[in-house]
Amino acid sequence: MSVQPMQETVARISKRTPQRLLTQAELEKIAPTRDERLFLVLSIFIGVLSGLLVVSFRIAIEWIKILTLGSAPHAGQFRLLLVPAVAGLFVAALVQLFFPGARGSGVNQTKAALYIYNGYISFKTVIGKFVTAALAIGCGHSLGPEDPSLQIGAGVASMVARRLNLSRQRLRLFAPIGAAAGLAAAFNAPIAAILFVIEEVIGQWSAAVLGSIVLSAISSVVVARWFWGSEPIFRIPPVTLRDPRELIAYAVLGVIGGFAALVFSKSLGYLRPRLRALPHWTHYCQSGIAGLLVGLIGFFGFPQVMGPGYEVMDQAMHGQFAWKLLLALALFKILATTLSFSSGTPGGMFAPTLFIGAMLGASVGSFEKLFFPHLAGTVGAYALVGMGVLFAGFLRAPLTSVFMVLEVSGNYSIILPVILANMIAYLMSRALQPVPIFEVFTHQDGLELPSMEEAREESELHLEDALHPVDVPVINGHQTIAEAAHSVSTAQASVFLVSLWDGSWYSMTVHDLTSASATSTPDTPIERVLPAERVPILFPDMPLDSALHYFPRWPVLPILNRAIKGKLEGIVTQDDVLHRYQEH
Amino acid sequence: MAVLQLRSALTPEERQLRQKLILRDSLALLSLFAIVIVLFFITLALFHSFSVHRQELAQRWLRRGENALHAGQPLVAIDALRSALAYAPDDENMQIELAEALAAAGRTEEAVAYFNTLLDARPGNGMINLQLARLAEKQGDEAEALDHYQAALDGTWEGDGYIRRREVRLELAQYLIDRKHYDRARNQLLIAAGNAPDDINIEMQVAGLLESAQDPANALHLYKKALQHRPVRLMALQGAARTAYALNRFLEAKEYLERALNHADFEKEPAEVQAQFRNMLSDADHILLLYPGPELNVRARAERILGNKKIAQERLAACLSTKSVVPPALQNLADRWQQLPARVRLLQLEQDPELEQTIVQLVYQTEQVTSQQCGSPTGDDALLLKIAQAPEAVEQQ
Repeated sequence: MSVQPMQETVARISKRTPQRLLTQAELEKIAPTRDERLFLVLSIFIGVLSGLLVVSFRIAIEWIKILTLGSAPHAGQFRLLLVPAVAGLFVAALVQLFFPGARGSGVNQTKAALYIYNGYISFKTVIGKFVTAALAIGCGHSLGPEDPSLQIGAGVASMVARRLNLSRQRLRLFAPIGAAAGLAAAFNAPIAAILFVIEEVIGQWSAAVLGSIVLSAISSVVVARWFWGSEPIFRIPPVTLRDPRELIAYAVLGVIGGFAALVFSKSLGYLRPRLRALPHWTHYCQSGIAGLLVGLIGFFGFPQVMGPGYEVMDQAMHGQFAWKLLLALALFKILATTLSFSSGTPGGMFAPTLFIGAMLGASVGSFEKLFFPHLAGTVGAYALVGMGVLFAGFLRAPLTSVFMVLEVSGNYSIILPVILANMIAYLMSRALQPVPIFEVFTHQDGLELPSMEEAREESELHLEDALHPVDVPVINGHQTIAEAAHSVSTAQASVFLVSLWDGSWYSMTVHDLTSASATSTPDTPIERVLPAERVPILFPDMPLDSALHYFPRWPVLPILNRAIKGKLEGIVTQDDVLHRYQEH
Repeated sequence: MAVLQLRSALTPEERQLRQKLILRDSLALLSLFAIVIVLFFITLALFHSFSVHRQELAQRWLRRGENALHAGQPLVAIDALRSALAYAPDDENMQIELAEALAAAGRTEEAVAYFNTLLDARPGNGMINLQLARLAEKQGDEAEALDHYQAALDGTWEGDGYIRRREVRLELAQYLIDRKHYDRARNQLLIAAGNAPDDINIEMQVAGLLESAQDPANALHLYKKALQHRPVRLMALQGAARTAYALNRFLEAKEYLERALNHADFEKEPAEVQAQFRNMLSDADHILLLYPGPELNVRARAERILGNKKIAQERLAACLSTKSVVPPALQNLADRWQQLPARVRLLQLEQDPELEQTIVQLVYQTEQVTSQQCGSPTGDDALLLKIAQAPEAVEQQ
């Protein structure tokens, strides 16, 4: 992955803009709600632009495929050897000389843009990704267009946001918005795209960005569907669970998928760093050699593994292959994709992952249909579940994997097999390969991006985790200063809480009490000497950090019950909060 | 309140800046809109050209596939049809053709898997069920084949469903005949015949199958229907003759055989077929000469009975001479012959219809029992045996 220093980026932006741009402080002053309003409008524009670009990208891939490999590539054609090899050399040269940012899949680059470069993805990278990925995939490299689409979408979002001089915080948020749009258009499945971006790019649900992600994803899918129709990228046959005993077969599929995901991850994890460690001049020919090897697989009988393979998935899903051939295709696809991806050829992992999963699933389904015809449902259902299984096991996006299958099938009757098989594959993958594949790539690239799997599973601390029972005096507001002083001195407390008639509370220090008694008579009700301000209203379920910034003013904070107004659940101090964080 | 304070705090310069900012943002959004429009039309042009090209490719590969299939090159057809489907994945006919090509190439397992998937999508499709029935037949799975044939009969067909159902029924009947389930085949054929239009080809086909299903009576009925069409077909005459002969209706068979032998096309038939029909005619003639029919006068009938008696007794004697231990059936027969007067005269027979009937019955039983005990007879014995099987049918019209 190409890493460009931020300073260089900023300098480049400022060189390109002769007109003086307003500073963020100026913008805040003269148009405080501008960013917020533009944010939503731009999300739609980004969605539409990404949708159009992704449609063009896919057409470009198809055209290149027809022009170079022919309209029906089949084993034994010498062009299967020549085309991917020559394309690999050309693409490698383009990547090395002109578009270093286009290398790889695009997911980690988008994450890097989000976490390291303030959402910056250059126009050159977008163009480079479009051209090099289209060439590589169209010429038969075993890669998919989804991850590049994700990066193209993120790049478009970045460009649009920069042109409008949005704040750095907003600029950063546009990368996942564009990514969701790009992926949604490529998948023709907005929910799966949104979930993937949340699971793999952002890592957590964020209300601030969710609305915009949804807007952009929906916009891009509307555009994509205007062209491709509402069908997903492959036709989905009717899917049903015919017999509860079929769940055994789905569980077997989960186990097979888990192992396949492991083999795939280990192969990539082994070959990729070794190829990257080779002398720099070899980077010019690695894609070419990978192309030649992939071409050999195609030449000697398995041209189906070349390119993204959507039509092959479609055929498998519609029962056009016998189970042995399906199994062979899955194994050769793992090999071909490992070669193509490890060589640094631009292209994504999604389509190969779906391909392998579909082949394995269809293989299990066909086998069952052959030997236990009374038990088996449709082969398509198995292929579909297989896709989800590999998605969960290899890409380690369990939520996306489930919703992707449900979204593309449009049939919730398959949810049980999907959850069962995906969960088995996911747990197996986690047990056997602790580090998810995208993190492996990140580490191989020398980057330290946040682990999305860890982020997803990180439990947020709440005030209830730090609060303790009330151990300070509690005084009613109508009690006198003298009574309060007596209670405090008896308890030898430095702080006490005042309960007021309207259910609100005040946290008072001994110092405050001393000051009050200096200016008022001892029989003055204490509520009369309190200032107008009150302690913040905090409840046990609120995030723990929400209390932090009140401590300089209030040493003890009351935590209230949401159901009974004014009732105390406990109190927290700064020490309680810090102690809880240290324990976590 | 805070907002109001901010707004009121804007200096004239800042207001100007804000106006410029609004203008700039508006222009930026407008330019974005323009970019979207331009990109849309570029994408549309690309997409249109791509779609047209895909359709052309689909048709090109479909033609190649169909040609290869007709030329008996199913492997080439599979590749071509798969390519065609890659460009037109929703074309149902193309899908069925591909599955047919798979089956024709002997890739039965793949074909079954593919057809099953197609059936999942269109559960009541007659054509898919028919193809699955054929594949099950190929795989020797009788129950599966019969289920799919039945589903094909009950299924939906496009346009010519009436004709296709009849074809399926006839194919099913042929399958049942091959499996020697003649009763079930006969039922299917009678349904097909009942629903068939007055078409000589269909009548001939159904009659032929009924013959194979060992139902010569209904076959003869259909051949007779076919003979009402002009010009008369030799095949219909041959079929009628064959079935009438099989039903022992030799008088009727003779009529059809004579017509068949006189038919203009008869000489074009292979020599063995011609010989077969000539033999049948000769046998029918002889049978009619041996048969003591009720239409004959008393003298002629008595003469024939006496002649048949002689033949039967000789047959019995010959059969008994081959046995060291006489089986009870033969012994019983011999005893019954012994009970008859040693010499029966012509006049005696003319005057005693009861004796006449007893001799006739004994002749027939002799031919039947000796054929069981001493093997198939030849010559007049063979002809008498044919009469013995259904004496009342011999002159039935």
